[in-house]
Amino acid sequence: MTQTQNAAPDEAAVVYPSPFKEFWQGFSHNKGAVVGLAFMTLILLAAILAPWIAPYSPIEQYRDHMLVPPVWSDGGTSQFLLGTDEAGRDILSRLIWGARQSLFIGLSSVLMALIPGVVGGLLSAFFPKLLGSSIMRLMDVLMALPSLLLAVAIVAILGPGLINSIIAISVVSLPAYVRLTRASAMTELNRDYVTAARVSGAGLLRLMFVTVLPNCLAPLIVHATMSFSSAIIDAAALGFLGLGVQPPTPEWGMMLASARDYIERAWWVVSLPGLTILLSVLAINLMGDGLRDALDPKLKRAA
Amino acid sequence: MSLLEISNLSVQFGSEARPFNAVEGLDLSVDQGEVVGIVGESGSGKSVTMMAMMGLLEGQGRIVADQLRFDGKDLLKISARDRRKIIGKDISMIFQDPMTALNPSYTVGYQIMEVLKEHQGLRGAALKQRALELMEMVEIPAAAQRLSSYPHQLSGGMSQRVAIAMAIACKPKLLIADEPTTALDVTIQAQIMELLVSLQKSQNMALILITHDLAVVAEVAQRLAVMYAGQVAELGAVPDIFRRPFHPYTEALLSSIPEHSKGARRLNTLPGIVPGHYDRPVGCLLSPRCPYVQERCRLERPALTVDGASGVRCHFPLSAKEVK
Amino acid sequence: MFSFILRRLGLLIPTFFGITLLTFSLIRLIPGDPIEVMVGERSLDPQMHAAALHRLGLDKPLYLQYIDYVVNLAHGHLGDSLITRVDVWTEFTTLFPATLELAICAMIFAVVLGLLAGIVAAIKRGSLFDHGVMGLSLTGFSMPIFWWGLILIMFFSVRLGWTPVAGRIDLAFDIPPRTGFMLIDTWLASSRDPSLSGAFVDALKHLILPTIVLGTIPLAVIARMTRSSMLEVLREDYVRTARAKGLSPSRVIFIHALRNALIPVLTVIGLQVGVLMGGAVLTETIFSWPGIGKWLIDAIQRRDYPVVQNGILLVATLVILVNFVVDILYGVANPRIRHAK
Repeated sequence: MTQTQNAAPDEAAVVYPSPFKEFWQGFSHNKGAVVGLAFMTLILLAAILAPWIAPYSPIEQYRDHMLVPPVWSDGGTSQFLLGTDEAGRDILSRLIWGARQSLFIGLSSVLMALIPGVVGGLLSAFFPKLLGSSIMRLMDVLMALPSLLLAVAIVAILGPGLINSIIAISVVSLPAYVRLTRASAMTELNRDYVTAARVSGAGLLRLMFVTVLPNCLAPLIVHATMSFSSAIIDAAALGFLGLGVQPPTPEWGMMLASARDYIERAWWVVSLPGLTILLSVLAINLMGDGLRDALDPKLKRAA
Repeated sequence: MSLLEISNLSVQFGSEARPFNAVEGLDLSVDQGEVVGIVGESGSGKSVTMMAMMGLLEGQGRIVADQLRFDGKDLLKISARDRRKIIGKDISMIFQDPMTALNPSYTVGYQIMEVLKEHQGLRGAALKQRALELMEMVEIPAAAQRLSSYPHQLSGGMSQRVAIAMAIACKPKLLIADEPTTALDVTIQAQIMELLVSLQKSQNMALILITHDLAVVAEVAQRLAVMYAGQVAELGAVPDIFRRPFHPYTEALLSSIPEHSKGARRLNTLPGIVPGHYDRPVGCLLSPRCPYVQERCRLERPALTVDGASGVRCHFPLSAKEVK
Repeated sequence: MFSFILRRLGLLIPTFFGITLLTFSLIRLIPGDPIEVMVGERSLDPQMHAAALHRLGLDKPLYLQYIDYVVNLAHGHLGDSLITRVDVWTEFTTLFPATLELAICAMIFAVVLGLLAGIVAAIKRGSLFDHGVMGLSLTGFSMPIFWWGLILIMFFSVRLGWTPVAGRIDLAFDIPPRTGFMLIDTWLASSRDPSLSGAFVDALKHLILPTIVLGTIPLAVIARMTRSSMLEVLREDYVRTARAKGLSPSRVIFIHALRNALIPVLTVIGLQVGVLMGGAVLTETIFSWPGIGKWLIDAIQRRDYPVVQNGILLVATLVILVNFVVDILYGVANPRIRHAK
């Protein structure tokens, strides 16, 4: 009995960490995630501050400095730290400005898939009969097409360009959001707290967005991170195929489109843009792993 | 000489720097054809001891023992390959949850025959015949059809019968049953226990019965080991211990059985829980919970004092006391 | 088992019709006048314009147009390419073996290495090897494969000269197409004509880099999935039971654990078929591989709409068929699914 008497004040004295602190503890436990976050912060800063930190204009062509190698290579100059491309444009500046395109396409396509995806998923969970099953059949159709092929087809129909790339990428990433939201909302709908809210007279919108949605957020956030990285890759792939952002706007994937011709002469033109894509995507995926650890221990096994 | 002789067995988990003794200085012997009960709360090291002996801890725990002798061979000294010739054949084990203990991807027949192929080299018709025989021995109705069933098509009791059939397939000398009825419905529990006992008698196997059901032990076992926090607290013949326990923990266990508490308004319980990884006391492991605790108990760990076939690990054994 | 297959087949049909609806509407989403876009001319003679509309059936109401489309599909009329005037089905079947050959090689590469790496990483959990596999697979998973292809070409083809840069076979070899699979064709040809004896090795060399490039992402995904699935299964009670039977470690791992661990891996492998078809678009473009992916990209760039429309339909049909087969295999591997009502 003495033990239980002691335990009560102990428990009252426990200070629960704030949600953010708790999240950060879980997240920072994963070293890779912290490295990923640091790298992405760097890229984000570069994108925001591009006009001030880029040494040159990304489209300015220095005709007498074509295909200059990076500074540490033979023949490199400190004038162009990462060298220049076939048209004499500074690669470092193009990479910095290119970050804007990639992050912009990535973020906007995530948002454009997330919002309708969540709404569609919630609707199909709340009205599983007719509306739900027709939404799900539609998603099945979209899922049957290889995502890049579908994106390419959409851009082919709508025409190349920044906005159309975003539309194409959001369309192909839509089904995953719908399915994920529907699946987690379906589980939540059976819980007692939802019934309690229903009984106390919460309206449909309130039930959907205030009662159920917050409890489905963890897997959605993790998935949004992962789809952010695949959006960046897909955008770069579209650019590489000449269907994305149009020249002269610098974009990482597009920088590689012409690189094939310089494969024998200028390794830096080929390597650097792709390396930037790889590192950014890797950083985001590392962050995604960390988010999964921090937000939803149940999801750990799903990878 | 005993069939199984374990002396001073310890199993350590965790890092070298902060080891955790799941089992500590355990002595136990089992004779041919004898039924020994091992009783204790969850986490007292009952299963770990048996898993260590079978080599099932798979590099997770560090196992040390003066000897771990089975049928004349020290299981810790022989190679893993030689031990696998004994495991599943001369010593076999039945686990707690039959629903997860069978592989969902293979038929019941396949899983029984696998043992026979591995240890007895049976093939073809003889193999099938023997599997069928085993299914009938464990009283599975429509045994021939059941051979091609998958585990998910069987009930818990049926699955446990299959597990028993697998375990007795090679006529083991020692069968270890690790809480074989805990996961089953109450009505099925008695049937399975009955089956185990009758098989034990007809096959003249030694049986180690791990359980927390003292009533079952009283009925079935000849000897009993009471474990607490990885140590044997008390050891002896079943009637003796039931009549007169020496260890306070045994006494507490016995008084928690309804039959022993007639007249009491509430069943006796021992407050607190088994000490975990970080809260092991310096002295006797029971000292934080023991109703008879003395100063010495808090400072010094008692050793197991053996007197003939019985033993107790207590500074102040309850000598003349009768169970209330 | 039979009824299980029928049930799954029933699910396929609505998906297939959904896809026809999608490819049908795809063409109608093209901004501007379809005839002008297709013919590539502006201010067409109104009479010719109407005639073209009528010929293509575009003057009918939409639902009739759709019915026409599906009826044509049912008769195997997939339309002709606007550029080559060859019908889409013929083009598809000519080019498909090249993609299939590449995809099969990439899949073998990914499955063999991925399973091995995943199993070993799971068994040696926490070891250097395990960390290496996890790190590499995350990198592979994050790889922009079009760049990966360029880097491999730069290193192995240009720098070291080990592998050819592009195509399926050296132009010096004139190989009669028999099966469409270059490895088989060169093998057959060289057994008849000794002057072609180097062709098989040459074809193999051409395959290596595209195989690696196309197989990288599936490899990463399969390795990760195998590892986590194995880790989960190794903790299961029935694995302990198998060890308690005195079975050898290899039998416990490969017969008892792997069989169950493979069930989720199989699904993931099935999903990779779609990834492969998407990857083929990029891989074939980089290596000038004359397959379906390059065909579709070329068609898109040339605005060859019948090819785009029905090429995509064919690829999507292929993907859902493969997923169907995977579903069936899934049932074979997992008795619980097979018996489920």
